[in-house]
Amino acid sequence: MTPATARISIAVRILMGALLPVMASCGQSADDRPTSWSYISTTIVQPNCATANCHATITQRSGVDLSKIKEGYEVLLNGHFVNVDDPGGSPLLLLLRGVGNRRMPPDFALPNADIELIERWIAARAPYDGPGLPAVSP
Amino acid sequence: MTHRHVVAWLVLVLAWIAPRGAEAYPQFQFSSGTERCADCHFAPAGGGLINMWGRNEAGDTLSTFGGNGGFLHGLWTPPNWLALGGDLRNAFIRNDVGGAASPEYAVFPMMAELYLRGEIPDTGLSLYVAGGYRGNVRSGETGAGNLEAFISREHYVMWKKASAKAAPYVRLGRFYAPFGLRLVEHIDYVRRYNRYNLYEETYNLSGGYLDKDWEVHVTALTSPPDSFPKSLGASGTHGSGAAAYGEKRFLSMAALGLQSRFTSNEEQTFWQWGGIGKLWIEKAKLLFMGELDVGHRAVKFGGGSATQLVSYLGATLVPLQGLFVGVAHERYQEDLHISRTARNAFDLEVNFLPFAHFEFIALGRYQLVGSGQSDGQPARMAMLQFHYYL
Repeated sequence: MTPATARISIAVRILMGALLPVMASCGQSADDRPTSWSYISTTIVQPNCATANCHATITQRSGVDLSKIKEGYEVLLNGHFVNVDDPGGSPLLLLLRGVGNRRMPPDFALPNADIELIERWIAARAPYDGPGLPAVSP
Repeated sequence: MTHRHVVAWLVLVLAWIAPRGAEAYPQFQFSSGTERCADCHFAPAGGGLINMWGRNEAGDTLSTFGGNGGFLHGLWTPPNWLALGGDLRNAFIRNDVGGAASPEYAVFPMMAELYLRGEIPDTGLSLYVAGGYRGNVRSGETGAGNLEAFISREHYVMWKKASAKAAPYVRLGRFYAPFGLRLVEHIDYVRRYNRYNLYEETYNLSGGYLDKDWEVHVTALTSPPDSFPKSLGASGTHGSGAAAYGEKRFLSMAALGLQSRFTSNEEQTFWQWGGIGKLWIEKAKLLFMGELDVGHRAVKFGGGSATQLVSYLGATLVPLQGLFVGVAHERYQEDLHISRTARNAFDLEVNFLPFAHFEFIALGRYQLVGSGQSDGQPARMAMLQFHYYL
């Protein structure tokens, strides 16, 4: 083993040892998070989708701006990305699951737990609980 | 070589060359013998245009075969009150996230950016402006072109006590509020999920103090208003708030930092607390870097809240001058209450700086949701970058 590979080996071992406690998942597996659009928008959609190359206000790929609760709700419903009569067939969920089109987000899939939460929200007929009154309803 | 060959070669080089903002390289701290980001950068917390000392270091201690790190390779030196620079960066990417369109391949410019800094001699006052074009990864689909639109990520005026190793400063304008490790790659979780993703610079009034072995930065911040033109716009909707970062260095080989940030807009409040650590082991030529941040998001509608965790732990080997080989683990859990919302990323990064002004980067990344396939689709990414700075 050369000195360089020995150093890499030491680094990897130290790193993996330090990671063991970090990698263990925290929290429970049962999902009791709110099935509400304001929660979904702020904790899931905005951090993952409203980014500079995608659906931030300055870019709005495909005319979709997901950087705010109300505007995000309106664009998803106006664009027929949400189908409350067939939640599992909603184009939004097909995109998130990479069915028939590019997966969204394109750099890393959302956790299944998040996709299932969004599906439960649509199945509840996509209620709105954010600021103001949206210009569209399901 | 015929004229046609020369033109073809130039076109090839220009097509490959790719811009993004000049960023700080936290790997350089300690490993290059320099202790403070501000030793090489004009900005007090690093990043952006490098100063004369930084340009000298680029040739002397940061590149394998040396070279002249000066502006235009030393062909022309601006007067002392003026500093100019630029960054070009291009990338090839293979991205596999599963699903119908994976894997995808793309060659794209990340950003082209120029920098200008002027100062009023003997006053400590300076003006800094960075401007360039936003790159577009999927220009074929969006029809927006490879270089999409002009944007100025950073522009500020600053007062900094001139020519002093220990210096207070005040800065007003647009830039990233000092926080965390300040890694180069914006896809790193500690940037992306801490609101330091691409173009998330805010407008700030910031002040601080830089000493030989410690520094502190305090910032009041606000997002660009929606009424601003897109060339001054940002991604993310931070609202307004404040950030603080303090760092203490030990024995020219280690650093510990603490940080906090609070922002509020009409939809949510977001509190962040965290810290960073660095350890350079000279004999092994190894640099360890880590960051851990906890953020609590309270949604103002519907009563929901979530506490997130973001972390980075990496080791970088410097087997020879100008070559960095790093491995890292990243963690993001959007709600500590729900284990299935966790992501882990494993990175391998090689940075090669053969000559001053030139850098080649290879990056491999494997991302895993929760505890495995049942919690979500893993992702694999490989990227090659070429970076040139003026």
